[in-house]
Parts: sequence; C-alpha cells; structure tokens
Amino acid sequence: MTRVKICGLMEEQHVKAASQADAIGFVFAPSKRRVSVERAQELSRLANNDMQRIGVFVNASYEEIDEAVKTVPLTMVQLHGDEPDELIRRIDVPVIQAFSIRSPDDVEKLNNSIADYILVDAPGTDYRGGSGHVFDWSLLENVNLDHSRLILAGGLNKDNVQAAISQTTPFMVDVSSGVETAGRKDEVKIQQFILQAKGDSMERTQEKTIDPVGFFGRYGGQFVPETLMKAVKELEAAYEDAKNDDEFQKEYHHYLKEYVGREQPLTFAARMTEAWGGPKIYLKREDLNHTGAHKVNNAIGQALLAQRMGKRKIVAETGAGQHGVATATICALFDLDCVVFMGEEDIKRQQLNVFRMKLLGARVESVTKGSGTLKDAVNEALRYWVTNVEDTHYLIGSALGPHPFPTMVRDFQSVIGKETKRQILEKEGRLPDAIVACVGGGSNAIGMFHPFVEDASVRLIGAEAAGAGVDTDRHAATLTKGSEGVLHGAMMKILQDDAGQVQEAHSISAGLDYPGIGPEHAHLADNGRVTYEAITDDEALASVIEMSRLEGIIPALETAHAIAEAKKQAQSMTADEVLVICVSGRGDKDMATYAEKLEGLS
Amino acid sequence: MKRLAELKQAGHKAFVAYIMAGDGGIEKLGEQIQYLQERGVTAIEVGIPFSDPVADGPTIEAAGNRALDKGITLEKVLDEMQRFDFEVKVPLVIMTYLNPVIRFGAERFTQEAKKAGASGVIIPDLPFEHRQLIEPFAKQQELVLIQLVTLTTIESRLEEILKQAEGFVYAVTVTGITGTRDDLAEEVGAFTRKVRELSPVPVYAGFGISKESHVNMLRDDVDGFIVGSAIVQAFHEDRIEDLEPLIDAVTIPHSV
Repeated sequence: MTRVKICGLMEEQHVKAASQADAIGFVFAPSKRRVSVERAQELSRLANNDMQRIGVFVNASYEEIDEAVKTVPLTMVQLHGDEPDELIRRIDVPVIQAFSIRSPDDVEKLNNSIADYILVDAPGTDYRGGSGHVFDWSLLENVNLDHSRLILAGGLNKDNVQAAISQTTPFMVDVSSGVETAGRKDEVKIQQFILQAKGDSMERTQEKTIDPVGFFGRYGGQFVPETLMKAVKELEAAYEDAKNDDEFQKEYHHYLKEYVGREQPLTFAARMTEAWGGPKIYLKREDLNHTGAHKVNNAIGQALLAQRMGKRKIVAETGAGQHGVATATICALFDLDCVVFMGEEDIKRQQLNVFRMKLLGARVESVTKGSGTLKDAVNEALRYWVTNVEDTHYLIGSALGPHPFPTMVRDFQSVIGKETKRQILEKEGRLPDAIVACVGGGSNAIGMFHPFVEDASVRLIGAEAAGAGVDTDRHAATLTKGSEGVLHGAMMKILQDDAGQVQEAHSISAGLDYPGIGPEHAHLADNGRVTYEAITDDEALASVIEMSRLEGIIPALETAHAIAEAKKQAQSMTADEVLVICVSGRGDKDMATYAEKLEGLS
Repeated sequence: MKRLAELKQAGHKAFVAYIMAGDGGIEKLGEQIQYLQERGVTAIEVGIPFSDPVADGPTIEAAGNRALDKGITLEKVLDEMQRFDFEVKVPLVIMTYLNPVIRFGAERFTQEAKKAGASGVIIPDLPFEHRQLIEPFAKQQELVLIQLVTLTTIESRLEEILKQAEGFVYAVTVTGITGTRDDLAEEVGAFTRKVRELSPVPVYAGFGISKESHVNMLRDDVDGFIVGSAIVQAFHEDRIEDLEPLIDAVTIPHSV
C-alpha cells in the first residue's frame, strides 16, 4: 500500500489529525511553514512511535541537519537544494532527494541520485521545495525508474491522489498545501487525504480481481453455496427497494420509537469523567432499548423486510442470546415462526436469555458441534437456511455474512451513530474526539461508527476480546491476530491456522466469542480509519465493577470491553476533549457469570 | 475429463464417488481411490476437510472432523496424491471449501493440484459470480472449475452458468445439505432435464443420492450420479462392498 506523508506541520492538532499517515514532515528551510528544531521536537512527541519524522532542508550545512536529526529526532532527511553527494553520504538516517520535473530529461536524472528515496515535484515558485502544482505524471510512465524509491509530491489533494497513485505507483505520496484551508493545515482535509490515498487504493486493486458488488475494499462478497444464491440475490434486491421506500423507513422508525423506546439518551457520565481525570465521558445508552441491547434495532428492520418479501419463518443464530431474544421478541410481535440456533456452551452461560426466548415462543436449538459457541450456531443456522430457504428468512444478528447482510445490518444499526451525532452536537456544540465500541462480529460498533467515518477529526476505536490474552490460544482478537479468509459467506478477517481451518475463539463474553469480524470492519482496520484494541476477560470484568459503582449502570460483558478500552484512551486525552462510549447492552443476562467471577466482591 | 463426454456419447451413465481425504488416515486415500477405480467408478471427488462445512450434512461433516483430528490439510492431501505409486485411471476432482484454498494461495493450489494429477476442482462456496478468484489460475493449469446448479438457481443465472460449464455440471438434487435421504422431490426430474438441455457438458446429479431407487428415478434425465455420504459412511464402517450394487446399477448398461 502506498505510504502517506503529511508535510509542513506546525500545530499540535494537525499532527494528531495525521495519526493515520506513515510520515510527517517538518520544514526547517525558509518557508511560511518553517518551524524551529525545538518546535519540531515538541510536535514530534505527539506522533505515534512508528511514524516517520522527516526534516525538510534546503542547502543546510551537515551540522544543522545533524543537530535536527538528533534533537527532534528525525528518522529521515529530505533535501531540496543542491546538496552534494558527500553530504548525502554523511547523513545517518535515510535521505530523500527532491527533484523538480519539467521534462523527460529531468526524469532521466532521477536515476543518478545516490539518495535512498527520490521525491518528484513540480517546479517551485517563491521558495524552493514545491509549489503545490501538479506536474505531468505521465512523464514517470514507461521510463526506467525504480518506483519503490519514488515519492510523489506536487499539487496532490484528496481528489487527485487516487489517480496519482494508480498512474505512478509511488512508494509514498507527499502532501502539504493540498490539505490546507486558507494557508493553514485542515484536520478534516488531512484525514480525508489519508483515507483516499490508503483506503481507495485497495478498492481499486480489488476491482481488478473480483466483481466489486457487496465489497468493502477486498472484504465482503457472497461466498455461499449455490442453493442460497437465489435467496441472497432476492434479499439484495428487496433491501435495495425497501431502503429507498419512505413507507418502509417510516414503519421501521415507528417501531423504533413506539416499541423499542428510542431515541436513547447520550448520558454525561460525570463520575467516570472525574474518576478517569481525562476527557468528558458520554454514554450512548443502547442498554435502555427494549430487550436490553442494540440487537433489536436490526431485528425489527429485518423482520419488516422478511414480511415484505412474503417470508413468515425466521431463523437466527445467537451468541450471548441478545440477538436471539431480540429476534424472538420481534417474531412474537409480528407473529412469525422463529427458530434460534445457539451453541451448547452459550446456552449454559446465558440461561436467562434461553428462557426468555422460549417464553417468547421461539424454538431454541442447541448446537453441540465445534466449540458450541457463536461460530457453530451460525453454521447450523446457515444449514437450516439452505434446507428451508424458500419460505425462511435468515435474520443475521451481526454485520456479517454474505452481501447484503453486512450493509443492511449496518444501516439498521446506524440509528445509534446518527442519534449520537445529533445529541453530542446539541450538548457540546461539536463532534467527539473519540468514540469507543466493542466488536465481536461488529454490529453495534459499525452502527455507531458509520455516521462518523467521514468525520476525520473523530477517532474511532473498536475493542475486541483478548480473552485470556492475545498471546495465549484463548482469545477472540480477530483484528489483532487474524488474517484474511472466507467464513460464513464473506471474505473477512478470521482466526485460522496455517491450513485455513477456522480456529475456535474464546471470550468470557458470549457475544464477542466469534473468530471473525465483519467485512466493513476488516476494511476500516486495513485503511486505518478505525483502530482496534484487544481487552482481556479480566480487564472487562474490572470495568463491569467500575461502571456499576460509578454510574449505577451495570453493563453487559461485551460492553465492558469498550469501557475498559475507553479508560485506556482517556489516559492520553485532556479535559477539553470528549469521549463517547457505546453502551451496547445491559448486564442482566450476565449476572450468573458476574456472581461466579466476582465472588467475594465487597 | 474428455472421457466424460465420450462416455455420454456412448450412452453410458457415469458414477462419481466422493471420498473424504484422510478419513481413517492419509494412507487410506490411495487405497480408496484404487478400490473405486477397480470397481468401475467413472471419476472420484477427493474431499478436503474443513472446519466449517456449511453445505455438508452430518455424515460428511463427521468424516471431515475425523480427518481434521488426524491433522489432514489440503497440502498433505496434495502431497500424498503426488506420491501415489499406482496408476490413476479415472479423473480426480478436488472438492474443497474456499478458505483452505485462499490460505494456501489460489495459484499455488492449482499448480499443486495439477501435479497431484487432478483434472478439476469443485468449490461449493465459490459461486459463479466470484469464480475469478480461482478460474484464471485453474485455466493456466488446464484444470476445470466444476459449477454447481441447484433447484433454486434462477433461470437467467442457470443459462449463464451452463454456457460456461466445463467438465461436468453438478446438479444439486435437493434444496439442502449433503446426506442420504429416502426420497427425492418430484420436481427434480424436470430440473435435471432442463439442465441437461442447456448444458454443453454431461450433467451429474448429486446430494442425497444413496439408493437404487434414486438412480432409477433420474436415470433418463441425467448423465450420471455423484454419491458422497453413502460412500464416506461405508468406507468409515469398512463395508464399502455394500455400495457395489449401487455402482453397478449406474454403470452397467441398461436395456431399455
């Protein structure tokens, strides 16, 4: 993937906004973006450890360069003047030599450079070091040039960077004025540029290899047995139709309001804010939904769609039982037949939910195969669907499965993020600095994140389950430890062995105990828009106690992972910042686990 | 694979046997293939075990789990096939879920499968729409990518799939997963007749075929039969000779 450098940084917030880039640049030569070595040192401290820190010089002495390298410290040096080769050789860190490109002759010269990388730019105007103008990229095509040492600069912006990358396939793209508004860096533009440069480059590669329908970058698709293709295609068409039908949307929102009890508050958590000593903490209260978690948002949407398609039988899988309960609830409401597959292990852990489903009139099928958890329940639900596809809708509970499920589930769950956005703007007059949500398959997180994905100033963090620890073999940290693979109808990230056999996941939380993560999350992880951190069982349990006692809200075990991660995030945030946690569900269902694990709690 | 077309021209029915590679140990693979080709089967599908075989019923899933417990992988099966010291006289088709192939590498998979003597590949969770993931590599190695069609395949797709079919077409005769059944649905005959009309290559019925009555019901509407669960279970219980009448019922020419 092409790397991204954001150059000419002068202010703290711009360094932060560039956190998903690979390199940041400080200009030490005469320029309106010039900074002192001391200032660069201060700014550099805000960047991630693995960020390249590049100093830009024009005809500086070796001593000046060396002092900056050691003080900031810089990991690379970029030279825009007429620096002799002897100077380049003396510099300890990798050197980038810049060239202005006007004609094919200029391209010829590039190969003579002894520097590690060559930066190509349009000819400068007032100062040396780039003008912000685009040069003719085609000059770089069909010439003998090592593109693995090529850095492309000059007039790049979010709108042309894709084209630039596909035409020149550089090692890195370098942007400065293209991410500025009125001569000053712009956080939103910085993040948009990074997203365009990184995210969409993957989509382009993808288009060459696979039909892009239903894909998020390289992930997604419809990898199902032929028997299901008809149902999947029908669903795709029916959802597309329903999505654009005002009546359908009206009905869906009617049930969200009158039956689920939306909208849910965005609660200011005063005592958590005080206890953590960092940003203002807000809680998005999905725990207050009817049935006790976010799952019902999606169950209502899909049940309405199933009826629209003339299907009155529903099959679902469930892990923690929250999706099963939500589905059973909606099936009772709409008088639909309901069968729920649930792993034997989860049935033991979530007895209360099993009873709730039965009380609601659903048939709960115990799955004894494999690890007896969510993965195996999905397998059985898929088999059931294959056999009963003509009259049955598979009501998938997470942002998983073949297209259109990941998109559809995300859309139905996006009510979480949409409400949050409106509410935080009312309360704080601005967007939050960070949002944390837990991820198993990823439905509450994608619903929360999706409306914020384009808001580059909002950091999005997913908390996945580290179980007994990511370095043990008992975890469900798919993004930390997983790799690309096909499971349950989609290309996504999964936990698997070298032979491509899917591994069993482990988490104390039944809802996160799944060895895959939905395709959109896999894509957002790859393009860096969302960062994913892993939280252990013990950390989650500690957060259950903390939140219960500070806010009087007993969270679900799944949610507790988000709280634990939020606490970590809060450590490096300040009092003028805002952090939102998605409280995906309440902890009633987990009381047996809490009673056992927190025995002797005083 | 050319042989399958010739067989059809000669008016003979094909019997394709599915086995789970490594069920009972990897050393059984060669033995089973030798036995089946001596017994006159037309082609053999070599199944690769997978942790999450959603198209399979309990018999094949259990066989897969036994193989997985013995540490069988796609790579081990292909290695074993490359070491066969007997003459393989029938076409071998690798049947595997997509993920082990992705993990192994699609190009490397087709190369090794070719070296292992395979003529074709069946990937039940790789629909026609996504065949580009594998097909270009398969073509390079002259392996055919066998397509499945089912009772639920809509007309327009059916035509599109059959237009590009190679080797043979796998006509799934149940709306469901693999496994033995007492009866096949009435509409199966009409379905296979339609498929056969449109298909440029032989059409074999599979999923749920385990009895002579199934064969008799569809004999005139297909070019052959694929039998999986019944064979897998018979090998597992060491009573493969029980299947001989079924093989004969298909392969011995019938006077009409």
